[in-house]
Amino acid sequence: MKLNRRIVTGAVALLLLCSSAWAQGVIKVGIVGPRTGAAAATGQAFDEGIKLATEYVNSKGGVLGKKLEVVFEDTAAVDKAASGFERLVTRDMVVMVLGESQSSSALAEIEVANRLKIPFVVAEAWADDITAKNYPYVFRAGPSNSGVVSQSIAKWVQFEKFKKVFIIAENTDWGIGIGKLTENAMAKAGVQFESMITERNSQDHYVELTKIKAYKPDAILAYIYGVGLHYFVAQAGETGVSPKAVILDGAGPPSLWPDYWKNVGDYGNLECFASSMHEKVELTDLAKYFRESYVKTFGKAPTDYKSRSIFDAILIAADAINRAKSTDPTKLIDALEKTNLKTTRGMAKFGMEKGSPRYHQWDPPMLVIQWQKKQQVVLYPPEAATGKLMR
Amino acid sequence: MTGKRLGFISALILAGMCILPLGLGIYPQHVLIVSLFYVMMASSWNLLAGYTGQVSFGHAAMAGIGAYTSGILAVKAGIDPWIGVCAGTAIAALLGLGLGALCLKMGGIYLSLTTLAFSQILHIVIVNEYDVTRGTMGLQVPGLMAEYSKITYYYIMLAAAVLTLAILYRMIHSNLGLNFRAVQNDEVAAKSIGVKVLQVRVLAFTVASAMAGFAGGLYGHYLLLITPEIPSLDLQFNVLAMTVIGGMGSFIGPVIGAFALNILAEKIRDYGEYHVLVFGLVALVVARFAPNGLLGIWRRFRTRPHARSSNRLQD
Amino acid sequence: MFAISLMNGLVMGVIYALAALGVSLVVGIMNVVNFAHGELYILAGYFSYLFASALGVNFVLAMVIAVGLVFFLGLLIEYLLIRPTYGNDMYSLILTFILSIVLQNAYLLIFGPYPNKPPLWVQGATDVFGLFLYGNQRLAALAAGAALIAVIFVIIKKTWFGRIIRAASQDREMAELNGVNTTRLNMLSFGLGCALAAAAGVILAPVFPVTPTAGVPVALTAFVVVVLGGMGSLWGCVVGGLTLGLVENFGAAFISSGYKNVFGFMILILVLLVRPSGLFGRAKI
Repeated sequence: MKLNRRIVTGAVALLLLCSSAWAQGVIKVGIVGPRTGAAAATGQAFDEGIKLATEYVNSKGGVLGKKLEVVFEDTAAVDKAASGFERLVTRDMVVMVLGESQSSSALAEIEVANRLKIPFVVAEAWADDITAKNYPYVFRAGPSNSGVVSQSIAKWVQFEKFKKVFIIAENTDWGIGIGKLTENAMAKAGVQFESMITERNSQDHYVELTKIKAYKPDAILAYIYGVGLHYFVAQAGETGVSPKAVILDGAGPPSLWPDYWKNVGDYGNLECFASSMHEKVELTDLAKYFRESYVKTFGKAPTDYKSRSIFDAILIAADAINRAKSTDPTKLIDALEKTNLKTTRGMAKFGMEKGSPRYHQWDPPMLVIQWQKKQQVVLYPPEAATGKLMR
Repeated sequence: MTGKRLGFISALILAGMCILPLGLGIYPQHVLIVSLFYVMMASSWNLLAGYTGQVSFGHAAMAGIGAYTSGILAVKAGIDPWIGVCAGTAIAALLGLGLGALCLKMGGIYLSLTTLAFSQILHIVIVNEYDVTRGTMGLQVPGLMAEYSKITYYYIMLAAAVLTLAILYRMIHSNLGLNFRAVQNDEVAAKSIGVKVLQVRVLAFTVASAMAGFAGGLYGHYLLLITPEIPSLDLQFNVLAMTVIGGMGSFIGPVIGAFALNILAEKIRDYGEYHVLVFGLVALVVARFAPNGLLGIWRRFRTRPHARSSNRLQD
Repeated sequence: MFAISLMNGLVMGVIYALAALGVSLVVGIMNVVNFAHGELYILAGYFSYLFASALGVNFVLAMVIAVGLVFFLGLLIEYLLIRPTYGNDMYSLILTFILSIVLQNAYLLIFGPYPNKPPLWVQGATDVFGLFLYGNQRLAALAAGAALIAVIFVIIKKTWFGRIIRAASQDREMAELNGVNTTRLNMLSFGLGCALAAAAGVILAPVFPVTPTAGVPVALTAFVVVVLGGMGSLWGCVVGGLTLGLVENFGAAFISSGYKNVFGFMILILVLLVRPSGLFGRAKI
């Protein structure tokens, strides 16, 4: 019996611990994202954005007169994503959950959000299915695969008048999804294409590059996240595939990570990447604020745009809580649907057409940028362009 | 311990386990459900590694076989998850029989490496055949019952764990169990006293694999998402560490290890991204200095309360 | 396609052989499979990056220091973890398996998730027989790897130390009777095994930058090579390494690149089925 009593005591203590988390004067928001594993760099970017956003929100009076507090849960392992989400809601008592950058994790989390009836604003997971399911509690304030392809990548390919492209995509929800969408868009635009799925942790792309070289494409649309992209770019240079064929990193951040240049060397020059952030182009004064406070806090310029995406998501959440004047989920959803907020990436506003991935979706503008002698040159859209494609 | 007393204690613990989740929130309930899954995994792995000396690295793979069989049947053919779990258990048993037979001629390290290769092949196949398995994205599967309920899942997992443990207990405390020990300690000697070494080893492999398949099937339908993380080296590491820390080769050791490590893992999760490191260090220290695990430490203090000898391994 | 697959197969094969030599040495003498072999490979990559890129040490010197440090770490691991487990092969396997997970997560804590890459020895690419362009660094890695393997062979076959190693791996008790201090020999060979992993690491890190978890496939391939060639056989390592490198690259080129790593494991199981002691191995174990 002794053992049982101990268990009961432990359980009671645990309960007390949980309830004490419901401290006075604080409203908690949960963040999900990978802090370990292959995409842990995103977790670091999120951490930076969280710090700046909470300071910003709290300096403007917080939420409902209380301080905003953020709890960041690691959801790197897809199988732990759902339970991590559950933990935030039931243990940490967060009123809303934001973030996520892995589509596969997000797809598991939206089920929990819907079951527990808790608003979930996805920041950087791109799979269309996340919003296509039209769950009332799920929003996305960030790029979607179809949005990126139709608004940026396909248009850029036509803009540069590429005749033949090669699509190489990693074997994940994001990679396969965006690869398929790109194939359709290329077929529609009358651009010749060939495509290939690759293992995202592969270190050696020589064989694949030999196949690509034989096809003689004008551009390679590479949907590979993480270090895999560095290997791909460096080896494409070594094998002489690029810069004859221009490489586009369809995700962006890997081309901006601190070690990009160390890993790819001179072969990194003339590589293109998609990004919602550019070192000089700033869409709103909030973007300027973000850059300045980032430099002040971390002593370096922001590179991974995901730090800014989570910043925006937190601002959207704080704004919704303040307008809802409550933390009640249905009121929060109502407020989120009426969002019309200036963020670093322009005015955030969620789509309301049911039956499509545009429901509860806000696609921030994306840029296509090229590295030219270690300078970022915006190629697309033309109204933001700061230079021309070089090859 | 007499049989009567043992029965009484087990009944008490079981009753405690039945009422335990009632006062808890859904997150602690989740932790308990995962712990029960690991109890099944670690105890059945213990049958292989602890009782017959076959350190298999393919045990998590067998859980993956169970989970994916059932999940694919449910998603692609609309088959009821309960039937799927049975099918998954059967297929894991068959593969266990095959793998066990394959490894017969090999001893120790070769067996470990072959099972490692098996688990890697399975992992690669699952990742690459994403049309069927959805690869690293994970396969979303239906639950075991129409309405999602944590507490029902808890009782299902509890029943499954009790069933698994009861079967293991019966096996270990029968003539078969003696044969297991004999095979582990000295194969040649065991053979000379008429133990059918090969059959005993293959039987252990088949039963343990079936149990892993069963546990994996239920776990998959609990998580509602089956990913290659189930048949992975990381999960294999958890199972191994729990068994080693709890006490390999003892019946109750892996059960203690599974609960202790899973709850510890939850505790140190609060310290951010380094929980796996702490987890590994604890496992390393215990494995190095207390080779009989927590159970061994406890027994040492029980039997020799005044002796303060070090727990070093003997040469 | 054929030519470049052949070339790739050779380069990878030599590196596989080098990494596997370390595993094989330790298995041959101590009957211990070091599961953390890949993590030591990675550690050497980190060290050479740290000294060459961050501290500005000459890259050759940085590589030597890296291998030396990993050698001493190997001695320490043997003393702390492996020595108490002699006579129980499975327990050392379990301990090093846990160690590999600990190291992976320690690297994540210390070096972060980003890939780290020591400086290239040579820049650019070379046109090989007018067939294809091939990275110079890869060619350099091939040369360095082959040279190192040759040196190891000379040491094992021609020197006094090599004779002791061969004697101990053939018959431990006999060597002991002849006055070999096997405790010290174990420590030394474990350290050497780790140093070989480190050597493979510093050679390949400029081609494939190191990340905390990048050691896992390295160790797995080394195990496949060792089993393929037969535990404890040095020639087996070279033949096994080259076979695996070629099979993987031809398989990736002509069958499926996603299944690249499966081919090795398939061969492993097939070889074990037909010849459980490997292609060149002793029947023991």
